[in-house]
Amino acid sequence: MGSVKIFVKPGCHFCPAAEKIGEILKSEGFPVFHYNIETPDGLAEAAFYSVMATPTIILEDESETTVAQWRGVVPQLDEIKSYLR
Amino acid sequence: MSTVIKLDDKLKAQMADILETTDMALFVRTSDESMHDWEREKIVEALMRETVIDRDTAILISKEVEAEIIKSGIKMVTAPLIRELVNAKLIEKGLEDARKMHTRLGMPIYDVDQLILHPNKENANVPHGPEATNLTLAETIKKEYALLSVFSDDVSDAHMIGDIHLHDLGFIDRPYCSGQSLEYIKKFGLNLPNSLSMAKPAKHPEVLLAHMVKFAAALQSHFAGAIGWDAINIFFAPYIEGLSDKDVKQLAQMLIFEFSQQAVARGGQAIFTDINLYWEVPKHFEDVEAIGPGGEFTGRKYSEYIHHSHRFVKALFEVYMEGDGSGRPFFFPKPLVHITEKFFKTEGHEEFLNLISEVAAEKGNTYFVFDRGETAKISECCRLSFKLDENDLKDAKQPWRMRYCALQNVTLNLPRIAYKAKGDDSRLFAEIYRLMELAAKAHRQKKDFIEKLLSHKEKGPLALLTMERDGIPYLRMHRATFLMGMLGLNEMVQYHTGYQMHESKEAFKFGLKVIAHMKLITDRLSKTYGMRFVLEQTPAESTAYRFAKLDIMRYPKEAKDVIKGDISNNEIYYTNSTYLNNSVEINPIERVRQEGLFHPMIEAGSLTHVWLGEAKPSASSLSNFIKKVFRFTLNDQIAFSPEFTTCNSCGRTSRGLSDTCVYCGSSDVDGITRITGYFTKISSWNKGKLGELKDRYRNKAFINQGEI
Ligand SMILES: [Zn+2]
Repeated sequence: MGSVKIFVKPGCHFCPAAEKIGEILKSEGFPVFHYNIETPDGLAEAAFYSVMATPTIILEDESETTVAQWRGVVPQLDEIKSYLR
Repeated sequence: MSTVIKLDDKLKAQMADILETTDMALFVRTSDESMHDWEREKIVEALMRETVIDRDTAILISKEVEAEIIKSGIKMVTAPLIRELVNAKLIEKGLEDARKMHTRLGMPIYDVDQLILHPNKENANVPHGPEATNLTLAETIKKEYALLSVFSDDVSDAHMIGDIHLHDLGFIDRPYCSGQSLEYIKKFGLNLPNSLSMAKPAKHPEVLLAHMVKFAAALQSHFAGAIGWDAINIFFAPYIEGLSDKDVKQLAQMLIFEFSQQAVARGGQAIFTDINLYWEVPKHFEDVEAIGPGGEFTGRKYSEYIHHSHRFVKALFEVYMEGDGSGRPFFFPKPLVHITEKFFKTEGHEEFLNLISEVAAEKGNTYFVFDRGETAKISECCRLSFKLDENDLKDAKQPWRMRYCALQNVTLNLPRIAYKAKGDDSRLFAEIYRLMELAAKAHRQKKDFIEKLLSHKEKGPLALLTMERDGIPYLRMHRATFLMGMLGLNEMVQYHTGYQMHESKEAFKFGLKVIAHMKLITDRLSKTYGMRFVLEQTPAESTAYRFAKLDIMRYPKEAKDVIKGDISNNEIYYTNSTYLNNSVEINPIERVRQEGLFHPMIEAGSLTHVWLGEAKPSASSLSNFIKKVFRFTLNDQIAFSPEFTTCNSCGRTSRGLSDTCVYCGSSDVDGITRITGYFTKISSWNKGKLGELKDRYRNKAFINQGEI
């Protein structure tokens, strides 16, 4: 199983929705990583993935290859899950 | 002036003409055993005027110095000697602050002798000659003055030991660099403070050009660094209308030749000029009322002049393609072409992209600046560009208001931070923070100093920058930027993690984290101090060498493992800013992509160099490369740098670096390529950059495969 990376920023309008999805996925056992782009670690990771908008969700497989991504938008939970099977 | 004076009256009279009165009086002594011409009171006066000590202490010191001079039995004293004797007394009494204030600035004869005879290698743009020597002499004194008098001790010390580098200390009384609008001179003519004549707004294109050149020269003597001009082809367009193609070409030629001429201005330096060019009419200028001949509005908008802006920009690149009289690339002005979404939607862009790519492949001049999304940018110094915010877009309606400046650049020595941290993350990040606070302090001190100079308005030293032709001062201090530079990220990461950035993903990510940390600190400092701090990729023409030299002395054990270049012959350097190692063979598009990941965090603009060496890519593969960079990376700006050998015997220029001329066999040749952000003769480079030149990977395999 790969990982789910969620990039957020304090005060961003749709970020809570993205974070919520992250929590649900985590509770279901998926490896989820949250990054606040106003911290050095979060901003560095965002730079690495060329994240220019929040929220952004990036799914990677085991070999750290990007499988799917949503930049500046929040997908439906089912849509994400369809990639995680 | 340090002069030995014998006390004969004739000489005394002669010297009186040369020396200012105070110094003269201090010099004075008699030829016999008495000292009746010696005025001890002059020491007291100087101490009272220059320092903050009380009169009694000053008198005491003057008496002690006098006693010592008499006791020593010396027959000659000089003003500097007396001053140093007084300084020694101040130290004895623990009056360190007073001693600092009482310091005399200057240079030993030996140093002046060396300077007059040998070229200055700190800035390869300065040719060697009497003017250049004047420049260096003045810079030396101003540098000392800055370190003693403008900056606090902690800031000056950090500079001197090489924790940070305060750039252009020799130009302490000027802002660093600036961006200009041609609209200002189109609208107001050339009406400069303290100048003998006033020129009304130009009616003809050649006159406008002459105004631009004169204004640039005036600005160069008020700024330390580059002068950038925005949207030159668009703002010239209303003057181009009605000119034949031949005349347009001639105008383009005049512009480039005027700005490329050496030895026209300060210290014989060419004016470090950038011209920003657009194929489209940028959105923020589309509906702006065009200013035409005589400074009058033409009644049309700039979008209506697109045809003429195209004619002019094409002519400029035709001139770049030809090169100078001996086929060398023009060193200045540097053409920066903005590649935007709109660029690709504007008719004729394919053909134009091909032209500028051909110039890039052939001569290397073109800088490709990528403005993605909706942000508009203007580029200024070596690689300094500003994203325009809301207020700027308002200014764009009256483009003569669009003038910007960066007040100063302070660079952090990143590798040394890693040496000090000894592998400990938190110590490393804490030291970065400490040095950035110190850099911010340096910026505040420079700002206070410049504001003091500006407060004298049109009667002061920076009169030009205070003129208010449009109701606000020419230098808009509220828009000033303060640059935080970095040097040697690659070596910092290498020492701290054991890998260079290209060697491991973890090492690369650690590099990103360092820059992310720095970016967030600049944001915080901006809020705290109400000033605009931004990260910049320091061009570091001499700093890369200076830091490396200082570290090999202070941290030899640590530095020798990561320093680049050849330690045995002292050709050592640190990798510039956030660049990947220069010598590694990395697919150029991958290098551009990876280096570009840093760029969004470096607000004052960034650049990736693609070294070409001898090999020449085709225009079509180069323009494909540009499209890929625009679409698939976040890289801010790229430039391609070929190398040339120019012959002083037969005056011809060939591709690649060689010891002899390929045409006539003469060994009287000069190598030419980019040192940092500009072309120059290699013979003028410092040892650090020579070391880098040997290391540069020149992409030959990839060029041969048509990847570029
Ligand atoms: Zn020759």
